Amino acid sequence: MRNRLMLCLTVLLTTAGSALAADIPVGHLTALTGPTSDVGIHYSQGVNDTLGYINQMGGIAGSKINFETVDYAYKAPQAIATYAGWMSGFKPVAIQGWGTADTEALKEKVAQDQVVYISAGYSNHLTDPTGKGVKSKGAAPYNFFYSPSYSDACRGLVKWAADDWKAKKGVGKPKFVHMGDNHPYPNAPKDACGDYAKELGFDIVPAIVYSMKPADAKAQCLSLKDSGANYAYLGNTSGPNISLLKSCSTVGVKTQFLANIWGWDEDAIKATGAEGDGVAWVVGATPWNDGASANAAMKAISAVSDPTGKAYRSLHYIRGACSTMLMGDAMKAAAAKGPVTGPTIKAALEAMKNYVPAGLEGVCTPSTWTADDHRSTTQVSVYTSAFNGGNFTMKKQGTVEVPRRPEWLGW
Amino acid sequence: MALGTSLRPCGDYRTDYAADTTIFETPAIRYVAVLTVILLLCAPFFCNRYILNLAIQIGTYGIAALGLNLVVGFTGQISLGHAAFFGFGAFASAWLNNRFGVPVFFAIPLAGLLTMAVGLLFGVPAGRIKGLYLAIATLAAQFILEDFFARAEWFTGGSSGAMAAPFTLFGTALNTDKTYFYVVLVYVVVLYLFASNLLRSRDGRALVAVRDHYLSAEIMGINLAWYRILSFGLSAAYAGIGGALFGHYLGFVSAEGFTILVSIQFLGMIIIGGLGSIAGSLLGTAFMVLLPEVMQGAVGLFGQKSPAMIQGLAYLKEMAIGLAIILFLIFEPDGLAHRWRRIRTYWKLYPFSY
Repeated sequence: MRNRLMLCLTVLLTTAGSALAADIPVGHLTALTGPTSDVGIHYSQGVNDTLGYINQMGGIAGSKINFETVDYAYKAPQAIATYAGWMSGFKPVAIQGWGTADTEALKEKVAQDQVVYISAGYSNHLTDPTGKGVKSKGAAPYNFFYSPSYSDACRGLVKWAADDWKAKKGVGKPKFVHMGDNHPYPNAPKDACGDYAKELGFDIVPAIVYSMKPADAKAQCLSLKDSGANYAYLGNTSGPNISLLKSCSTVGVKTQFLANIWGWDEDAIKATGAEGDGVAWVVGATPWNDGASANAAMKAISAVSDPTGKAYRSLHYIRGACSTMLMGDAMKAAAAKGPVTGPTIKAALEAMKNYVPAGLEGVCTPSTWTADDHRSTTQVSVYTSAFNGGNFTMKKQGTVEVPRRPEWLGW
Repeated sequence: MALGTSLRPCGDYRTDYAADTTIFETPAIRYVAVLTVILLLCAPFFCNRYILNLAIQIGTYGIAALGLNLVVGFTGQISLGHAAFFGFGAFASAWLNNRFGVPVFFAIPLAGLLTMAVGLLFGVPAGRIKGLYLAIATLAAQFILEDFFARAEWFTGGSSGAMAAPFTLFGTALNTDKTYFYVVLVYVVVLYLFASNLLRSRDGRALVAVRDHYLSAEIMGINLAWYRILSFGLSAAYAGIGGALFGHYLGFVSAEGFTILVSIQFLGMIIIGGLGSIAGSLLGTAFMVLLPEVMQGAVGLFGQKSPAMIQGLAYLKEMAIGLAIILFLIFEPDGLAHRWRRIRTYWKLYPFSY
């Protein structure tokens, strides 16, 4: 009798235990190769380390995150095929995604399958959960991202440029040009940002296309010089921007460059040297040497792949960590109320108001999502860099508060 | 030579021209072909998703490769823009479906026709020039169409690409690997039979005559320009249908998926499979699709030890594909189809192979 009771107990305990420890499947789609690998490698490392850290700290209410990392080389069809493969077996409840093209292509599917999709493509087209925005490209209820959208970031840069023009006592109307590849990621803010620049009194010069694959760009730099643009928005990632800035320096361009959040970083500053001095760009989290490295949680995340604690972590790494921690916190909030599924994670994210992931205060910027607005933040931190003979500096110029206009939702 | 090309057994005499031009050379070949199709019909019940995915890839690319073989292997022209036609078919089918609500069932063949029109247009230079000059002219098709895909918002969705709805039949969506496999299989069987039949016809023989000796062909009364351009049109139609099947399988068509590298890959398929061989087109495609997968498996077998080894073997994998193509060109320039024939003849005549 006693034996039987013990047996019953063990069976009960093991089943309960296994039910508790059911892993939470999470997909991680990344670009370690291809045209965006320059920034993808950093970001992906941040995501992987943070997922490892969440599991080290006990996971989500006792269950581990089971994640699968797939390198899709920035090829949208490859991403779609990977997603289809996941949905037929792995069935992730959330995905840490990458590019704009593939995320936009998948937005209807993830809504159908109710999978929370946290992308590193910050396209404004992903910020309208209801599709009610005046210029919106359709509903994206399951898409989230950490950081200001590309449009808002570009609007922030333009606003900064307008102030800069005044401060420099520029004469007449300043000229603004959009530069980038003909690809959804650089194109995302093109019209929205140009429209706001016009409103702020800029003359808009026809856009200049340059490749996302680093190549000589003297032809583009010559057209930039001919256009007489005072401010140029760079829509590509940091790799091609290095070669663009070097080419432009060769032909003697004097334009003030405004790079997007992926378009300028430590690697680019080092590689471009003094020719890259003065580029203004958007930073989405506190840089490593400005305080992030002193944060205990950030240290522990970094230690997952670097036990020595000596590694320098780039801007993109830190954003990857913030984005993943937000997902982890949302999962924990969902787990406190019931099962962790796509809809419950979405509800938890939409309940966040000026939210900073636990332990990352002072590193990540506060994010807010609501059921009808997925613009996580409209505060744009503008930095400029100086090469300084190799001992480079990144100086914060200020935070631009971009207005959260309803007609800009999803645009 | 004992290892000749004829598989016809002794005493199998043909008494009329019709018997001499059957699609299948011997009854045995016919039975094997029918049996293979029947076995393939059962495949979804036994194979997993991964195998079916590869089979679907072989099918869609195989259709396009056959199209390229019609123009390169049978008509003796050259085309470096085949991937662009493949892409045009994919976009055209998605466009017909999204814009005009044409059911996917009809959109795929219609996309084939639209691509044929584009192919006829870009085939026009073939009426006048040949060799390397033609290669460059077809290169134009590749670049013009690729640029068109990235810019024609109304047709392709521009750089964002286009969504392609799943294939539906009487209201049921055939969007899983198991069901879509049948769609591709039907298209492969129909289009391969059509090509085999075409080559028995007057037009098909004219294409071969243009390849073998264009001057003699012209003296015999074959309209050279017309048949050269026609071969481009046919080839594009095949590419278009293959592309449309590919697009609806993936569910999304992106302007970046149809680069010159894919065009060269198509050429690789038919060179490895066998220029001027219908079955070779499919064999070569299967080879090109399966080789990376096999190499991947091999890397998995050896590469569990250290990340450095996995990295190193990944490079090895890429090199192996290049090596395979070079080895084929040196040791089997006639392709897999020829090799297969030699193996069969060897066994047929064993042990007295002469």
